[in-house]
Amino acid sequence: MSLGDPAGIYRAPELRQSSLVLGWSDDAGGVGRKVTEYLNRKLKGQEVAEIDPEDFFSLGGVAVRSDLAQFPESKFYACQAHELVVFRSDPPRVEWYRFLNSILDVAECHCRVKELCILGAMVTASAHTTPRQLFAVFDSAETKGSLSQYGLVGDMDYQTPPGERPTLNSFLLWIAKGRNLRALSLWVPIPFYLARVEDAQAQKKVLSFLDERLNLRIDFSDLNQEIQEQNEKLAQARSLSPEIDDYIHRLESNLMLSDEENGELIKKIESSLRERS
Amino acid sequence: MGIRLYQEPRLENPVMVASWPGIGNIGIIAVDTLREMLGAEEFGEIEPWHFFYPKRVLIRKGVLECLEFPGSKFYFRTMERGDLILFVGEEQPAEGGRVYAEGKKAYCMANLVLDVAEKFKCRRIYTSGAAVALTHHTMKPRVWAVPNSEGLIREIRGYENTVLMSDIEGTGGQGNITGLNGLLLGVAKRRGLEAICLMGEIPVYLQGLPLSYPKASKSVLEVLSRDLEIEVNLDKLDELDEKIEPGIEEFYRQIPLEVRGQLDRLRHVTYTEPSEPGPITEEEEQRIMQEVEKFFKRRGEGG
Repeated sequence: MSLGDPAGIYRAPELRQSSLVLGWSDDAGGVGRKVTEYLNRKLKGQEVAEIDPEDFFSLGGVAVRSDLAQFPESKFYACQAHELVVFRSDPPRVEWYRFLNSILDVAECHCRVKELCILGAMVTASAHTTPRQLFAVFDSAETKGSLSQYGLVGDMDYQTPPGERPTLNSFLLWIAKGRNLRALSLWVPIPFYLARVEDAQAQKKVLSFLDERLNLRIDFSDLNQEIQEQNEKLAQARSLSPEIDDYIHRLESNLMLSDEENGELIKKIESSLRERS
Repeated sequence: MGIRLYQEPRLENPVMVASWPGIGNIGIIAVDTLREMLGAEEFGEIEPWHFFYPKRVLIRKGVLECLEFPGSKFYFRTMERGDLILFVGEEQPAEGGRVYAEGKKAYCMANLVLDVAEKFKCRRIYTSGAAVALTHHTMKPRVWAVPNSEGLIREIRGYENTVLMSDIEGTGGQGNITGLNGLLLGVAKRRGLEAICLMGEIPVYLQGLPLSYPKASKSVLEVLSRDLEIEVNLDKLDELDEKIEPGIEEFYRQIPLEVRGQLDRLRHVTYTEPSEPGPITEEEEQRIMQEVEKFFKRRGEGG
């Protein structure tokens, strides 16, 4: 088995003690992709390295999404003024351990990363109007203690249910823990009917934490505008369809919908957001 | 990527018995039962992270406590007539949604297992798996044995309830052993190590079900324990079989009458000598296989 370095470094960023924010491109609600894109855009992130897809993805063809041919990307961006490194990638299909270690090799050896923040979204049976919380899992009690002032919900007890597997985020957190790299994994709830579209409110929740934690001083006026527009579209969809309104109202009252109703709500919301965009 | 030995037991003239999960979990149940019955002691493992995706995470009060991987563990037991090393692989290191290992990782895993076999100077390796056969679930499963050297054929002919591939009707001595239970045999051959794969028969109509088939594990263990001259109480496998049997019967009743009629004929196939043909002709065998395939195709299409 080849164990050569799969990472290509374009240029060594001048960083002294940076943080790495990592997001997966296929997250629910577009959280991983949009948050990393937003950080790069706002903080002028520059591409500094990438991981070659050859060993980690099935390259027997290309996937087509939104009419476009896709190709797996795993790229590092440096926002030097903010001591921040952003990594965005498609989740690897094979050789996970090697892939995840390669990320941390680049981060620690070339970017002097001292803290890792992994972005994640969890699909929930809640309404978009329910105030969002930000859940976190930490590599250690020390990290948890040092981040206590940010309002994260960090008391989760969990074990993988039978028949399921841990997430890639847990795998990465475990590897970081083994390397004594301070790390946390964030989980923002996404209402199930927004999982396949973009959930601006969830993105803002994550970005607000990062802004405060990393002292980024981001101007969120554009994102606030986006949230407002999305909320208006959803409110309009509710006013035009008593069925949508009923479903969301029941979710707001902590009532469960049937599988059929869930499917119906997803379909109606997605088509309603598409029509109005 | 490597082997971790917690201790280095002194073993005399050991034999290694290895298995990974496969159809009906026949091999893995046989080896695991042997491990349990003999009270074999764990002494090492293959480091899992290069081979497997984790199977379980434990988070307590927001802190990640541990991440568990499928195990690939070595056990030993000293015996009067030659010691034993058992290897139990909880999963095959498969990629891309495949069930069976293949390619570089499989080859690497096989070599690591054999590194341990060579380190402790094992005189022979056994692997174990399933043989999909035209047999009935009410019949006692035979054991198909495949050695990796000519010199073992005569010995195998002396095993009870055991056949070589050339004894199997219609195979002409040809076939494949998928995954690591087979690959280990080949890699052992390459390294000059003697190895035999023992495969318990599972009826063709049960191969796709997510069921264990302990009846065949028992047949494998009977052969293995006789060959190794060890006594193993197999009551546990009978109990397991009793639990699983109603599920098999229930499934069997769901098979359409015309297919079941063909399969029922397999109840009466007896093998007094391994190479003696049963009362079903080759043409009839083909027809039964076609009917079974058609049934599963219809089932898969939701018909």
